[in-house]
Amino acid sequence: MEAKKGPAAARDGPGLSILVGKTKQIIQEVITDPVTYLANWGRKYSLWPVHLETACCSIEWGALSGPRFDAERYGTLEAFGSLRQCDLVVVHGTVTRKMAPRLRWIYDQMPEPKWVIAMGACAITGGVYFDSYNVLPGVDQVVPVDVYVPGCPPRPEELIDAIILLQDKIRKSSIR
Amino acid sequence: MSTTPAQPTLPSEEKAIIDSFAKLGDMAKVAFARKKRIKMMVLRENLVETAKFVRDELKFDHCTNVTGTDFPKDNQLEITYHFGSIEGDGLRRIILAVACRIPSADPKLPSIIDVYPSVNYHERETAEMIGCVFEGHPNLSRLLLPEDWNDIPPMLKAYRLPGRLEEG
Repeated sequence: MEAKKGPAAARDGPGLSILVGKTKQIIQEVITDPVTYLANWGRKYSLWPVHLETACCSIEWGALSGPRFDAERYGTLEAFGSLRQCDLVVVHGTVTRKMAPRLRWIYDQMPEPKWVIAMGACAITGGVYFDSYNVLPGVDQVVPVDVYVPGCPPRPEELIDAIILLQDKIRKSSIR
Repeated sequence: MSTTPAQPTLPSEEKAIIDSFAKLGDMAKVAFARKKRIKMMVLRENLVETAKFVRDELKFDHCTNVTGTDFPKDNQLEITYHFGSIEGDGLRRIILAVACRIPSADPKLPSIIDVYPSVNYHERETAEMIGCVFEGHPNLSRLLLPEDWNDIPPMLKAYRLPGRLEEG
């Protein structure tokens, strides 16, 4: 019995451990892709935006969620709840230096995963106010921006394009 | 600050205002007088008295705006009060400006908050934007600038944006 145990263990041990290792990898590979697909599918069609209505671009966002352009058919819901239930910040226009800590504060309160859309020339570079003592030259100094929408102000069609771009980005992203 | 004579085509209300400023004597000088727009220059010792005169005698019942201008060549700041009238007869279209020049090295001005209480926020804004101290103001704290502002007031001509190169 004892003489047999040595070679048998030597023969079966590595094989078993390789099998266990492979199983883990196989299960991971089998599970990760559908779970990622499902999670991203759920995330990309339930974007709840925080409206940071700092400037006049918010009028165009209002047109976007109105009946003519109707962004809800692409899966951005009009969120009127707490920002802790939101996962998208849309910065509508000029952000002043006084507003910048508040923007970061809002961003930090939101749960992961979260995305940022910088809307309009002022949110991207400061726009015509880039030389001012009080205007931030681009919100990407404060928060990481996913999609930039240029325009002064951008048309609602461009915002729809931005939402579709963001959904593409979410679809291709990996989850941990 | 050349004293221009009243134009012959000036409407009667504007003429009446300029004539009644003669009661103050040397305290107020006419900077310009046009239709709907009159500007008076006063010294800072006479500002509160002039404001009382404008409220009681001329029936200008509210202060619309307080602004500051920097004149770096003269080393002076000019603080301008704009007065309007709702109740006054025929005064509704007129804006009366009372301006006061103070040296940049000693930017102090008596507050007229006891005469016109509505200058509260305007004086706070002017104080932080141009650096003028309004003596007698109850709460001259920061209003519009960021909390971590650590520079000279931004509306002065000497202010330079950090990180920007000088022109020329």
